[in-house]
Amino acid sequence: MEDHGEGGAARRASGRVRKIAPKVGAALQDTNMRAQAAAARLEALEKDTIVYEAIDIDDDDEASMDEDERPTQKKAPKSSKRKTRQARALEQVASTKKAPRSFLDLLQEANLESLPPNAPSYLRAAVGPPSVGARRHFCSVCGYLAPYTCPRCGARFCCSRCQTLHTDTRCQKFLA
Amino acid sequence: MKRTGGGVTSSVVVLDNGAGYCKAGMAGQSEPTAVVPNCMARPRSAKKWLIADQLLECDDIQSIAIKRPIDRGYMISPEIEREIWDRVFKVHLKVNPTECGLMLVEPLFTLSSIQKATDELVFEDFGFQSFCISNSAVSAHAYQAQKAPTSILARGRTSLVVDSGFSFTHTVPVFQNKAVTTAAKRINLGGKALTNYLKELVSYRAWNVMDETYTMEDVKEKLCFVSLDIERDLNIARVKGKSNALRREYVLPDGVKHKRGFVKELEPLSDDKVVNVSDEDDDDDHHMDEDQGEEGRRHRVQRKQAPPQIKQEDQQEITLTNERFLVPEMLFHPADLGMNEAGLAECIVRAINACEPELHALLYQSVLLTGGNTLLPGFKNRLEHELRPLVTDDFNINIEIVDCPILAAWKGASLMAARPEFHTWAVTKAEYEEDGTLRCRQRFQK
Repeated sequence: MEDHGEGGAARRASGRVRKIAPKVGAALQDTNMRAQAAAARLEALEKDTIVYEAIDIDDDDEASMDEDERPTQKKAPKSSKRKTRQARALEQVASTKKAPRSFLDLLQEANLESLPPNAPSYLRAAVGPPSVGARRHFCSVCGYLAPYTCPRCGARFCCSRCQTLHTDTRCQKFLA
Repeated sequence: MKRTGGGVTSSVVVLDNGAGYCKAGMAGQSEPTAVVPNCMARPRSAKKWLIADQLLECDDIQSIAIKRPIDRGYMISPEIEREIWDRVFKVHLKVNPTECGLMLVEPLFTLSSIQKATDELVFEDFGFQSFCISNSAVSAHAYQAQKAPTSILARGRTSLVVDSGFSFTHTVPVFQNKAVTTAAKRINLGGKALTNYLKELVSYRAWNVMDETYTMEDVKEKLCFVSLDIERDLNIARVKGKSNALRREYVLPDGVKHKRGFVKELEPLSDDKVVNVSDEDDDDDHHMDEDQGEEGRRHRVQRKQAPPQIKQEDQQEITLTNERFLVPEMLFHPADLGMNEAGLAECIVRAINACEPELHALLYQSVLLTGGNTLLPGFKNRLEHELRPLVTDDFNINIEIVDCPILAAWKGASLMAARPEFHTWAVTKAEYEEDGTLRCRQRFQK
């Protein structure tokens, strides 16, 4: 990147654009990014501790990897393995049917939109958007009231010190 | 019907299957026998999952993995739930489900696929004789009505129940001892979201605690409160160093000396007890001098903090200031978090406005708070402050917290299950086998 900057010193006006990392450029162009990031953050609020668990699928993947790496294996056992793999795949389909799905999947499946509009349902019970009162902004670094917005990612901060901290640590250029 | 109606009426198990805690006991008891976390947990060092109450005795709670049968308030995983209930029935209640009836507290608007899964769990896996559903609003109302029989709430048989639980917050009008589902409103914020929000804040500002859900829940319960004037409190919380009146320290468990985290005792303050808010404001106004000012102040702070730093033992602490009230603040203003949802006070107003106008006065006079979040200090006062400007002064507002917000729904359900009418409400196993889920559920609607 630095080489580019030196080479393009003569045409600084256009060089300025290049200084932005491509990902950041894309992030700036795509206004949905911020909305997506906000949605992801809200989604994270409902999450439990991430559970690292060995899933059966892993075994299967390993098995297939072995096969790919060693194509010189005898054919007879391979075909027998195929069968077991098929059987296992079937089992997996059966087990995934039972496996817990997220509530949102179930909600979508329930197709509540098709209900008559006056019937009480999960969707209708949602409180809906606030009628008054603008959003108050708190500093994303220290929590104090935040009058300033990060031009790059839209996060809020309250003072220059928090801005520096924000750009150094959490600005969306690293998330994008 | 034949079996239970014959007079050999067996005992009834009452279960309030909350997302946070599973409360279980026998009908007629005044307190539940077991209040256990409704989850399975596995310490980093172990391979076996701990079920429900085993978590409470576990010593190795650092980075403990937790899986819950309940997502967004609804039971999505009967497999996990089965293990938890199994333990509750066998170890705590010591009952045989096939000889009992079951009174279950289920959230409102449970999807039919989840209802079906619940029915299967109750009748096919556990084989209960009879089964009845209640919801937390009606149960909490019943409990409060029984406790204060002369109150407006009990005499009018009407109340507005605000149930702020682990997964979400419902405001449900109760009329004639029944929930008015057409008017019920929900905010998708509960204790879990608050804990996760606190986790996020602390992880950015201090230690990474993203894996320490269990510990952070404790931090939230012990240190969070609802602010009555957020700007004032923000200014108080901004003061650096020990003179900050809102500053609290929480010692994280290290697994050796402290198995559980705890709140550090406040050290006696020296002379600079006075919270100097104006000084802070000055610093704010001169942003040009910010660097210098900051530098100077940091030096000052360092000098101030030097002695305790030497004394400090090898314990990890987190210091909380404005996080203590910014986290519960989200319940009152979800918009601050970027959620497109109205706050709690407005939620109450909307629920009441969706009822018949004749009921409004009665509903505002008996707002009943229940659910774990209402235990946050200042919750009721804040709600009064927020609600009053939204309601015309023709109406009196009276807000009450039930005396045991976490257990109220269970206690109410216990009272209801002990009534002789229980057997007319409940669906028996034979009826379930005959009619299936749908017909049985239609009965609960009535």
